Amino acid sequence: MENTTKSPQNIKANEVAEFILDAGVFLMASGAHSGRVWRNCRRIAEHWGYRMNFTPTFTGILVSVWDDKNSENAVTRYKTAPSNSVHLETLTQISHLSWKIAYGEIEYNDARCELEAIKSKAHYPFWLVALAVGISCGCLCTLAGGSLIDAALAFCGASVGSVARYFILKKQFNQFLSIIIASAITTLIAGTDTIFGLGRAPEMTLATSVLYLIPGVPLINSVIDLLEGYFSASIARSLFAASIVSSIAVGMILSIMLLGINNF
Amino acid sequence: MELISNVLIDFALAFCVAFCWGILFGTPWKALLVTGLLGGFGHGIRFILLQSNMGLVAATLIASVSIGLLGIYVAHKVHNPPVVITMPACITMIPGLYAYRSMLAGIKLSDQAILDKNPNIIPTIAHNAVLTFSLLFTLAVGISISALLFRNKSIKEIRFDKSRTRLKEK
Repeated sequence: MENTTKSPQNIKANEVAEFILDAGVFLMASGAHSGRVWRNCRRIAEHWGYRMNFTPTFTGILVSVWDDKNSENAVTRYKTAPSNSVHLETLTQISHLSWKIAYGEIEYNDARCELEAIKSKAHYPFWLVALAVGISCGCLCTLAGGSLIDAALAFCGASVGSVARYFILKKQFNQFLSIIIASAITTLIAGTDTIFGLGRAPEMTLATSVLYLIPGVPLINSVIDLLEGYFSASIARSLFAASIVSSIAVGMILSIMLLGINNF
Repeated sequence: MELISNVLIDFALAFCVAFCWGILFGTPWKALLVTGLLGGFGHGIRFILLQSNMGLVAATLIASVSIGLLGIYVAHKVHNPPVVITMPACITMIPGLYAYRSMLAGIKLSDQAILDKNPNIIPTIAHNAVLTFSLLFTLAVGISISALLFRNKSIKEIRFDKSRTRLKEK
C-alpha cells in the first residue's frame, strides 16, 4: 500500500471523518467484518492525506482523523450504526468506491453523491427473496435426506415465514419479535409433516425449514473478528447472533408446544 | 458410477442452495452464478470426503478452506470482494440439523417426566452443541482464510499473473 500521502488540499479533517463514518457504519450494518471496514476506511483517509485510527463495535464506530503536519486539523467522532440488515452488494460497491478514491479518480463531492446512491440501493424484491428462501430450504432438506414431500413442506414453510417476516418488519416492529413469529409460522407448517407422518424424514423438514432465519453473517463475522483481534466487535456480534438464535428457538418452542411436544 | 451420480446430485442441490442464499444476502446479480458454483463445489468435496469415511468436522474444514482459497481467485474475475461470494457458498454447510437437535433436546430437558424416561438427553445436547459450534468455527476459518494467510493485505493486491500487474500499473 504505497499511496503517496498528499498534503490535504481543501478537505477538512471533519469532512473526512464524516465520510469515513458514513461509509464505515453502513458497511458494518451490511455485514462486513471489522477488518474490511478498517481497510476500506484507511484507504480513503490515506488518499486524502490524513492518518486515522478507529474502534469498531457492532453498534457504532469511533474514529480519529488527524493531519501529521498540522495538529490543529484533527477530529474524533462517533456514529451509531443503523440496524443490521445484511446486504452484501454494499460491500462490493463501497470497496469499489474506496479504490476509486485511492486511485484519485473521484473528487470528494462526487464521492459523497456516490455514497448516498449506494445507501439508497434497494435489496432484491421480497417475493424473490421468499422464493429463493423456499428453494434453498427445500434443497437443504433434500441434502439432509428428506423426500420430495419433506422438501415441498420445507419450501412452503420457509416462503410463508419469510413473507410474514417482511411484513412484520415493514410495520417497524422489533426484529426479534419478527423472528419469533416467522419461526413459529414456519414450524407450524413444517410440523404438519411430523403430525400426519407425510414424508420419509419429518425431522429434517423441521430442522431445515427455519434455517433461513439463522444469522449466518453475524455468526461468521464474530469468529472472523475474534481471529483478527477486534474483541469488542466480536462479542457484540456473537451476542446479537445468539439472541437471534434464541428467538428462533422461542418461536419453534411455541409451535412445538402447540402441536404437542410428545409428537416430536 | 452410482457415486458419480450421487456427487452430481449433491452438486446440483448445493448449487441451488448457494445461489438462493446469495439472493437472501443481496449478492450482486453478476456474482450469483459464481456463488452457486463455489457452493456446489465445496459441498461436493465434503460429500466425497464423507463417503471416504472422513470425520464430519475435518471434511467441512477442508471443504470450506477450499471454498475460501478458490474464492480469492474467483473474486478477481468477477470484481467483487471474496466475502460476498464465499459467505453464501459456505452457508450450504451450516449445521442446522445439529442446532435443531440440541434445541429440541433442550426443550425436553425442561420436562421432568421425559427426562426420567430418557436420561440420554444431556449427552445428546452436549454432542450436538459441540458439533454445531465446531462446524460454525470451521466455516468461519474457511471464509477468513484470506485474512489469516495474507494478513492485513487487501485481496486486490495479490497478483496471479503478469497481465494483471500491468493492468494495475496503468
